Amino acid sequence: ASLKLAHLVTIAAMIGTPGKGITACDEGPGTIGDRFEAVGVVNTEENRRAYRQVLFESEGANEFLSAAILDPETLYQKSSSNGEAFPKVLMARGIVPGVKPHLKIFALPGQNGATVMQGLDSLAVRCAEYKAAGCEFAKWRSPLEIDVANGQPSDLTIETNMRDLARYALICQSQGLVPIVEPDIALKGTHDLETAVRVNVKVQSELFHQMNLHGVYMEGAVLKSNMVNPGKDCPVSYTVEEIAEANLQVFRRCFPTAMTTANFLSGGQSLEDASARLDAINKRKGRKDPWNLSFSWSAAVQMPLFQLCKGKDGLQLEAIGALYVAELAIASAAALGTHTRKGTEGDHKGRGGLFGGKK
Amino acid sequence: NSESSRQALRELLFTTPGFEKRCAGVILYEETLFQTCVDGTPFVELLVSKNILPGIKVDKGVVAIPGCEDRGETTTAGLDGLEERCATYYQKGARFAKWRGVLTVGKNGKGPSERCLALNCDALANYAAICQKNGLVPIVEPEILTDGDHDIAVSQAVTTVVLQRVFESLNKAGVLLEGMVLKPNMVTSGVDCLKKADAATVAKLTVETLRRTVPPSVPGILFLSGGQTEDEATSHLNLMNKNSPLTNPWTLSFSYGRALQATVLKTWGGKSENVQAAQAALFERADANGKASLGEL
Repeated sequence: ASLKLAHLVTIAAMIGTPGKGITACDEGPGTIGDRFEAVGVVNTEENRRAYRQVLFESEGANEFLSAAILDPETLYQKSSSNGEAFPKVLMARGIVPGVKPHLKIFALPGQNGATVMQGLDSLAVRCAEYKAAGCEFAKWRSPLEIDVANGQPSDLTIETNMRDLARYALICQSQGLVPIVEPDIALKGTHDLETAVRVNVKVQSELFHQMNLHGVYMEGAVLKSNMVNPGKDCPVSYTVEEIAEANLQVFRRCFPTAMTTANFLSGGQSLEDASARLDAINKRKGRKDPWNLSFSWSAAVQMPLFQLCKGKDGLQLEAIGALYVAELAIASAAALGTHTRKGTEGDHKGRGGLFGGKK
Repeated sequence: NSESSRQALRELLFTTPGFEKRCAGVILYEETLFQTCVDGTPFVELLVSKNILPGIKVDKGVVAIPGCEDRGETTTAGLDGLEERCATYYQKGARFAKWRGVLTVGKNGKGPSERCLALNCDALANYAAICQKNGLVPIVEPEILTDGDHDIAVSQAVTTVVLQRVFESLNKAGVLLEGMVLKPNMVTSGVDCLKKADAATVAKLTVETLRRTVPPSVPGILFLSGGQTEDEATSHLNLMNKNSPLTNPWTLSFSYGRALQATVLKTWGGKSENVQAAQAALFERADANGKASLGEL
């Protein structure tokens, strides 16, 4: 039993390598298809395979990547470089492969549209399959929204989602996979930073409470949370330093130090904003913040890559690879606190109420 | 045991030369808060002059939980009138308070009953909120007794459940974590356990449990000594601070009663001619524990 736990700790430590982060490539064929089609690329299995190959094999990418989250389809696809399945290719490059199991979203009755994710049934069996395919971790995302007027996220919404995340985590560990738990509070809304801090502490406290209650091995689990930000349409302005402090404050109030790394999702932030904020967080880190704080980005890194294909004939693999690695270098610098932002990247510019944007 | 002998003991302790080098605060009983030295100097004034914070125990002891008598479970009384008492204590010079909840590992090591957990953690949280409202830093003390023959794994499991319930309750009550102190038990084997865990294991599992449950915002974790001997209490604390492979976000130190005073009391025996020797014994213990809190022994 202790060998199994030691293995989980080893994988979690690899994922949390300072200066490296996660490339999240787990969009299902439907979702990635939408992104392809928006720029005129046909959604075929080969295109999906070739595109992911670039994300895994671009020269220099593995300097900045500790792990990759894959869609189940990708687990069984092979590299054209050497005919090996992608999990093996990734591991050989020092990038830990993991998977996002299929989940279905379900509306919670009476909760104004708040949801819960379904997928615990047969998860153990699927995890065993993923492990056999070469995965070392899994990821489960529970989306939540702040809607102060409607009392969301309500206690029920939070408890239901966080309890399921804890159960998922336990099931993963029982099958030898490190669970990445992803409570994702959306950027959407007009709430201020103080409200965001309060709600994030409430949600994350419940998550870690449920994880401890369920006996999840904390040292072998990883957090992938949203960055703490004011709502996208919040009229009040905040500097990137204020945002960084809010992020650290939330973690200090509830994130167990037994967990060694948190890799933020981008959640609609541009690469520039996400990097500026991650960098500010790492520049401010002190004795109270012993965790590795890094990235697990999909849209922030990948949306610019799709733009390279617009008006062109098919996937521009070489250009994609070059831009991708350049972006990862920025993300890595932010994870080390050595990035330099341009202008006011990372600040939240509130459009202001009657009296302007500053509080 | 008379008021004057209690006064004499406390005067002995507070006038110990060098005491202030290792003691940042003293938890007093209400009687002591209002007592003076033989020369008339209030104890509170003496402590403050040495930069030692006066604190006050505010709970009124344990009471049986109706329906849980067969399990021997208790809750702690003292919330009624606490607000008014806090105001009085603050006025007298107290700047922090302490409340002790007592729990057990339960039948077959299954932990406290849900009722016991709820009552004790709610009481601790309410106490803490009331204190902060009245300018007193609350020391939150959920003590899990070592009574029993359980092994250290049971202690770890129960301590985990209790601590994370404590913090859940504190969060719900809106307690400012940055303005409180935790006083927990260490994770140890039961007192009648046949295969007792060694000191290094006690240190390792205690820190592991705290890293899983105590948010970094809490500035300090100051252990109770429970039934440990003076040497055990010091050695465990030292190993925690020495052996920790990762930097802890809170200080790990001591809030010892018996483990600081056992030798002192024996040496003193109530006789004024023994005061100097007793004071030397106190300083020796305080100094050792101070070094242990830095892992320097």
